[in-house]
Amino acid sequence: MVQLTATPVIALVDEPVHIRATGLTPFQIVTLHASLKDEKGNMFYSRAYYRANEVGEVDLERDSSLGGDYTGVHPMGLIWSLKPEKLLTRLLKTDVMNSPFQVQVKLHELDFLLNNKPISAPKASLTLERWYVAPGVTRIRVREGRLRGALFLPPGEGRFPGVIDLFGGIGGLLEFRAGLLASRGFVSLALAYCDYDDLPPQPEITDLEYFEEAANFLLRHPKVHGPGIGVVSTCKGAEIGLSMGIHLKQITATVLINGTPFVFEVPQVYRGQIYPPVPPSIQLVAINTLGLTEFYRMFEETQIIASQSFLPIEKAHGHFLFIVGEADKNVNSKRHAELATDRLRRNGKSNWTLLSYPGAGHLIEPPYSPLCPASGLRALSSSVHWGGEVIPHAAAQEHSWKEIQKFLRKHLISTVTSQL
Amino acid sequence: MPQLTATPASALADEPVHIRVTGLPPFQVVTLKASLKDDKGDLFQSKAFYRANEAGEVDLEQAPALGGDYVGVHPMGLFWSLKPEKAFWRLLKHDVLNTPFWVTLDVYDSICSQYSAIIQPSASQVVQRWFSGPGVQRKQIREGRVRGALFLPPGEGPFLGVIDLFGAIGGLVEFRASLLAARGFAVLALAYFDYEDLPEELLEVDLEYFEEAANLLLAHPKIQRPGIGVISMCKGAEIALAMACYLKQAVAIVCINGFTAVMGVPLRYKDLVVTPIRPEMERVQVHASGALSYCHCYGDPRDKLNGQSVLPVEKAQSRLLFIVGEDDEFIRSKLYAEQAMDRLRSHGRSHGRVLVYPSAGHLIDPPYAPLCFASRVRGLPRPFLWGGDPAAHAAAQEHAWGEIQKFFRQHLIQNRSKL
Repeated sequence: MVQLTATPVIALVDEPVHIRATGLTPFQIVTLHASLKDEKGNMFYSRAYYRANEVGEVDLERDSSLGGDYTGVHPMGLIWSLKPEKLLTRLLKTDVMNSPFQVQVKLHELDFLLNNKPISAPKASLTLERWYVAPGVTRIRVREGRLRGALFLPPGEGRFPGVIDLFGGIGGLLEFRAGLLASRGFVSLALAYCDYDDLPPQPEITDLEYFEEAANFLLRHPKVHGPGIGVVSTCKGAEIGLSMGIHLKQITATVLINGTPFVFEVPQVYRGQIYPPVPPSIQLVAINTLGLTEFYRMFEETQIIASQSFLPIEKAHGHFLFIVGEADKNVNSKRHAELATDRLRRNGKSNWTLLSYPGAGHLIEPPYSPLCPASGLRALSSSVHWGGEVIPHAAAQEHSWKEIQKFLRKHLISTVTSQL
Repeated sequence: MPQLTATPASALADEPVHIRVTGLPPFQVVTLKASLKDDKGDLFQSKAFYRANEAGEVDLEQAPALGGDYVGVHPMGLFWSLKPEKAFWRLLKHDVLNTPFWVTLDVYDSICSQYSAIIQPSASQVVQRWFSGPGVQRKQIREGRVRGALFLPPGEGPFLGVIDLFGAIGGLVEFRASLLAARGFAVLALAYFDYEDLPEELLEVDLEYFEEAANLLLAHPKIQRPGIGVISMCKGAEIALAMACYLKQAVAIVCINGFTAVMGVPLRYKDLVVTPIRPEMERVQVHASGALSYCHCYGDPRDKLNGQSVLPVEKAQSRLLFIVGEDDEFIRSKLYAEQAMDRLRSHGRSHGRVLVYPSAGHLIDPPYAPLCFASRVRGLPRPFLWGGDPAAHAAAQEHAWGEIQKFFRQHLIQNRSKL
């Protein structure tokens, strides 16, 4: 009898699942097919072909996929290689508290799936639940002063290190990473700064005092252990995160994912100090083979270096973790991180770590998130290429997530123990 | 006042166009845009940003594009980087005789990052790109079993005869045959499945059908005897190579990105049956875009288990030219061509030649055809990945086209002398 098992069936999205099939004919080639429906009803699919061994078993932790959405030994491949039915749709969970993503995994006979749906009925199937919050995590909507966002608290008594979570140009409020960080023991503030609630849709300046307010708000919270807090930030959020690390003493650990060490789009202002944006060279924007827009060439180094826009990173007291996707097509992440670390070195600083991932793109998210190679932002008519190759991008997400947590614990919790 | 000139304004699609803009503010960054609608009305567009020189001019033969669909000096870049508005749509000319592609070239004296109907260009010109020349005639062929279209150059002849075979796409693709006819060859665009009363699916390759077509061509009063050429692509190239091995009529064969073994369906010629390599569809790979790369499904011609399917190229009396795109994502063309060349060498035969083009993909078409990186085939929902890097692919198309014509002229005219 054909059986399909997965352990654990219910888990956090950053936890791996062990998938096995038994009761097959020896050396039979089978299709493993995964599907997911997001909150808007968009379908995502993936498939892989495996050959059963001499006792009719397939073990994704041991066996190599022959083809499909990935090849090689990748126990979580079915999840991170999920692809949208509607081109360029990004998989994003908006309600992180009340429901998981459900992934249906089905085992079929060899089925060439030129369409998305298999021809025959599955021999076995199961449904995985993938949650963004652990049991006991609480979410509090934040509307304090100017602040808009959502605060996630880990379960249990006591105090925890605090983290501010900042995303990029997409605007709005993305909560999924903050929910996960809370599940991993951090009080996490998912902070919106544009196009959310009563925040302006396109602010004309980035007012660092807003982020200072957020840092103070977090430190005041009874469940947060100071005296320092961290920032996890992506893209435009990382430009802001870097500035927070420079100007706000409370920030002792800053994670910068595919960001810039210079101001772009709108000026940054902090207590009268103005950092102007680097003017974009739009004529350097490229269109790739599939017609997707690539912005990563848009800021010329001659405009960055020796300009007021280049943030004085050497003035920061805390630590930095740079996460770089080398195949980022939206931001020239590798080169920008080099500019930042060169500047730190020149100033005799060593308060940073750089993790550079070949083949990883712009959207480096928690583990097992499917690679979104491109999508349409609201303000652009053509789609934006984020970059990345499926398999190395998945590996980068898995590795960087562990490193991010290690980094935050090292620089936030040790400051706690040094107080004792 | 900006002016845009493109010369020649009307030409064959394989001829380059010299584009110049004058009357711009010195050192101004401008946008050059090309657009066309195919026979079905689907839009294709491209653009590039250039900086005018001190005299306010942009000459595409000298100036580098700064960004857009291509970067660097590429006089024909606007043509080969055209992209469909509809994702995964391939640019194909169906009516090759009566109408050209009309390509509108626009210049905007600023950086235009969005395609917008609102902003008017500073200057504009429409160029015509033709797939056949004056006096070329097209004759629908329905004789015996043979189905296709014969393109004859103007004049009395005799002309060098060529059969044109496309691949897995099926039906009848005429644009390459008509272009070759405009270059002085008599070309039979030959369909072999999914066309008129031919079988809808290709279940076997019956070489007698292709022999009938070759004889039909050779029987034509305007066609030079005793041998014809074949230009072929993909599955068509496997068939052409089989014609070289088992028939006498084809004396100069061009194989573009094809198999050198019988693949998928059996090959039959009279009593002979050659069993195929069975494609391993479980080795398909899905690209990040969702398009399917099949090149790992088709086996290794050097694998001893496939020995009975590999074509005996040493038996061919004809000259062979293999054209290979190194980044072909549909077939591992280089692997197949190299295997065929090794087999020739090991039998002491020297009538084969291979041209390998780095970073070129599967669909090596005549010059300036836009790179089609992935497209839908025969109504299937998931697009097929063809591969290729745009600039390198364009260069490959330009170079290969010249080599193909030289090859035919050299070996069809001389075919009277024994190899």
